[in-house]
Amino acid sequence: MTRKIVHILLLALMAAACTEKINVKLDTTYTRLVVDGNIESDTGVYQVALTKSADYFSNVPVPRVVNASVTINDGINTFILRESRKGISGIYETDAGFIGHIGKTYTLHVDLPEAISGKTSVEASSALLQVTHLDSIGADFHPEWGKKGIWTVKLYAQEPGNETNYYLFNFYRNGILMTDTLTKKVVSDDKFYNGSYMNGVDVIYLNNEHKWETISPGDTIMLQMSGITKEYYDFINEVVQSGFNIPFFSGPPANIKGNVSNGGVGFFAAYSNSYAKTVVK
Amino acid sequence: MHMKPSAFSFFFGFFLLIFFSGFSETVDKSTRFSISGKITDKHSGEALVGATIFVKELKTGAVTDVYGNYSLTLTTGKYSLIYSYVGYKTIENSIDLTRDFRINLELEPLLRDLKEVEITSEKNDKNVAKPEMSTFRMDIKTIQRIPALFGEVDVIKAIQMLPGVQSVGEGSSGFSVRGGAPDQNLILLDEATVYNASHLMGFFSVFNNDAIKDVKLYKGDIPANYGGRLSSVLDIRMNEGNSKKFEVNGGIGLIASRLTIEGPILKDRCSFVVSGRRTYADIFLPLSSNKALHNNRLYFYDLNAKINYRINDNNQIFLSGYFGRDVFKNGFASMKWGNETATIRWNHLFTKQLFSNFSLIYSNYLYNLGTPAGNNNSFDWTSNLRDLGVKGDFSYYLNTKNTIRFGASVIYHMFNPGDAKGIGEKTVFTNVKVPNNYGFETGVFGSNEQKIGDHFTVKYGLRLSMFQNTGPGTVFHYDSAYKATDSTVYKAGVLYNTYAGLEPRLGLLYDFNSKHSIKASYARTYQYLQLAQNSTVGTPLDIWFPASPNIKPQIADQVAFGYFRNFRRNTIETSVEGYYKWMQNVVDFKDFADLLLNNKLEGEIRTGKAWSYGVEFLVRLNESKINGWVSYTWSRTFRQIHEINGDNPYPAPYDKPNNVSVVLNYVISKRLTVSANWVYATGAPVTFPTGRAEIGGKIVPIYSDRNQYRYEDYHRLDVSLSFYSKEKPGRKFTWDLNFSVYNAYNRHNTWSINFTQDNVDPNTTYAEKVYLFGIIPSVTFNFHFNND
Repeated sequence: MTRKIVHILLLALMAAACTEKINVKLDTTYTRLVVDGNIESDTGVYQVALTKSADYFSNVPVPRVVNASVTINDGINTFILRESRKGISGIYETDAGFIGHIGKTYTLHVDLPEAISGKTSVEASSALLQVTHLDSIGADFHPEWGKKGIWTVKLYAQEPGNETNYYLFNFYRNGILMTDTLTKKVVSDDKFYNGSYMNGVDVIYLNNEHKWETISPGDTIMLQMSGITKEYYDFINEVVQSGFNIPFFSGPPANIKGNVSNGGVGFFAAYSNSYAKTVVK
Repeated sequence: MHMKPSAFSFFFGFFLLIFFSGFSETVDKSTRFSISGKITDKHSGEALVGATIFVKELKTGAVTDVYGNYSLTLTTGKYSLIYSYVGYKTIENSIDLTRDFRINLELEPLLRDLKEVEITSEKNDKNVAKPEMSTFRMDIKTIQRIPALFGEVDVIKAIQMLPGVQSVGEGSSGFSVRGGAPDQNLILLDEATVYNASHLMGFFSVFNNDAIKDVKLYKGDIPANYGGRLSSVLDIRMNEGNSKKFEVNGGIGLIASRLTIEGPILKDRCSFVVSGRRTYADIFLPLSSNKALHNNRLYFYDLNAKINYRINDNNQIFLSGYFGRDVFKNGFASMKWGNETATIRWNHLFTKQLFSNFSLIYSNYLYNLGTPAGNNNSFDWTSNLRDLGVKGDFSYYLNTKNTIRFGASVIYHMFNPGDAKGIGEKTVFTNVKVPNNYGFETGVFGSNEQKIGDHFTVKYGLRLSMFQNTGPGTVFHYDSAYKATDSTVYKAGVLYNTYAGLEPRLGLLYDFNSKHSIKASYARTYQYLQLAQNSTVGTPLDIWFPASPNIKPQIADQVAFGYFRNFRRNTIETSVEGYYKWMQNVVDFKDFADLLLNNKLEGEIRTGKAWSYGVEFLVRLNESKINGWVSYTWSRTFRQIHEINGDNPYPAPYDKPNNVSVVLNYVISKRLTVSANWVYATGAPVTFPTGRAEIGGKIVPIYSDRNQYRYEDYHRLDVSLSFYSKEKPGRKFTWDLNFSVYNAYNRHNTWSINFTQDNVDPNTTYAEKVYLFGIIPSVTFNFHFNND
């Protein structure tokens, strides 16, 4: 959380900088397979999207990888994923009753119909870790922060003390997922809370300036707290950091590290969930 | 690149050879006497640093040290001595040397209109005749004439316009010397290390020019009395205070004001100076059209003070201190950071030939960050680095052929890398502390500057440096994948790790009749402290961390060769220098390193080697009407770091091959001067995306190799015009008005380029340039009052 506060402070310092769109000529690069998928501890249909990388300024939807053979293995059983629209969508789905079990390690296996950068198959593995029970959530309005105030969403839960835990937070307003892209999601480690009762820890900051993201009294809000691996936590942090370059605090740009083998990009994640709801007062 | 060990042994052998043969010709039994003394400014009593004493008959001489002291030992005879200093009237003295003499002289400063003086500077040939290269000295008057951002004249910004020195970013106080990292510069204020020279994110440096007398930058050929950084030493000396009369100097600028009071406590013996500065730009923030800034507060202040007491001719005591803070706060959080330094120094002349200087030094850099108490997210986070040091330096002016220096220093470093805790009853934060650690940094040195014959001078020295980690401390052990496996905790007082290094320093000069000369130098330097700074510009939160069982000391070897020539009675100094620098155990950080509040910081570090080379051309003008310099530098610098860029070499962030600086000041009349500077540099290297991957609804860039692209070239013109009140002897109040324009042709120089996904069409990405300053005009009013 302090990292977030530092960023807010430093960003305010450079509010005076000016920007202008420019043309930059970039080289092209070879094509990589991109894997984007996850399974969770709730019963449901889970998707794995397969695409190809493209030139940075290609500015059209990235090509899909269709007709691949995709399976998930939990150490004992192998589950087959089917392409949602065969030969068209590049999105591969589990059966409707799929459920991820805490403590198991799930391995995604993809066989490609044609090689991408010389490889015809990739794998990605993720352990499914237990998340602590989310007792309840609350929301506070801070009129003194920022231009029109900031809403924060806080949580109450016991942080297990025995190991380092990593969390992913998703936020729903009136049943609609607000954290709908990877960079809007919130991740945290337990550095400041390890083993203690998280007695109203702010996890979501909503700028009241923007109608599309803020909340108001009467809204039903829900927080989804997920237990994730360190690798996935690092991955999401890296995706967030790869999106900006500010000389004050950005390190040199670098490629994000996923968990896909054979030169693939992206992540196949497995995690468990805990939810809490409240009505904003 | 692999020449380091052989270069080192070659120079080390050469050094030993000279050292053992060196003193043979110094044994000279004829009757000799010393002339020594102190040279000061007639009006203020300030010691003059680098004033020359030239013996006409012998075509040799001496130069005053940083305290204005000099010593010359000659055989019996009649001599004409010429005392001179740029910008002062020259004094010529005849002397019948039949005994030791003490000659304290006061030189009179010239009025701004230099026409009345004939430049008698046949002796001002230091550029050619001194066995010293890769250095640049500036007095504060030179710096004050340089047009500056917001009209705030700045030492570091002036330094950045020297050949071989690169700014790390627009408006930044960070600088890279001959391809070195910004943390490889030792910045000293009255001998105390300044760990963070930036105010306001670097737009200003911590040095208030009203309090500063003299600045000297060593880019190479670093004398043996300095150690601890690989690339440079920036030695900044504060004013001693006027010992003759009270003076008030001040300035009112657009964003900051300054006030300095100085004067005698005991006339000619004891003086003081106090200088303060504060910005008030934040007062205007409520007027900004950007409402988010309205409740922001951002300012800095600093205070310099010094007391100087000349007990007698042989003893002088100085007390000097600096205190500075930056404060930034808004309704949400607050942050403050700053340096404090203190120096107590005793200058003692044991004999007419043996001078000494003992110092007690304290330095502290700290930052604090937090949110107000009373909330669930209230916290307080502090980090600091404190130094306590003692130092003794001796200069022995054996004869006109040999000047011997020796001494020792010990610094105790106390690191508090970070301590964050929740505050108040509602807070949800527990305490997170990165354990403190401690270390001793020791240096012992000896050097001699020796003339051999009429044309050849050699300067050789050796420094033995040592760093010892002392308990209490916690050392993590890392496996080959940089994962911490376990740790060892050491008790207080335990010396648990020692590094030592021999640092030979060598300089050679061959002087062709004082008109031109060739010089060469070699220096090995060790560095035991480094900055955990992953970004190019850096933040106040970057912490220093020491060498340890996991982090080896950094080592640099630099060779330089140069040709020096003066023209027009030494009013035009020119030089060409070439250098090559090899650096080992250079520190970089893994991709996406986490450097904040991380007790396993050392696991984020990757080390490797770096090398740089270049050629620097400099023309320095000291004519009566026009002064300044023009320089061109061609240089390259590379790094090769384990695990970074696939272990392949890449251009260092400060690799800007072509660099031009023009800094000129023209005296139009007694009351009007105009100054201009123009800087040009190849765009900084940068990593750009070449591919995209779509993950989680986001376009994620796939990057090129590290630093394979460059920003556009940087160039900028600044101009200023100074208008002075009438200058008459005995006038109590004088003033000047300075108009300056930063970035006069309003170039939008790139500060960074961001690649952004369009909000409306998520398939579209575009590049967006961030620039900090367009054209910035400003006006500053300076005043001066004395009770003459």
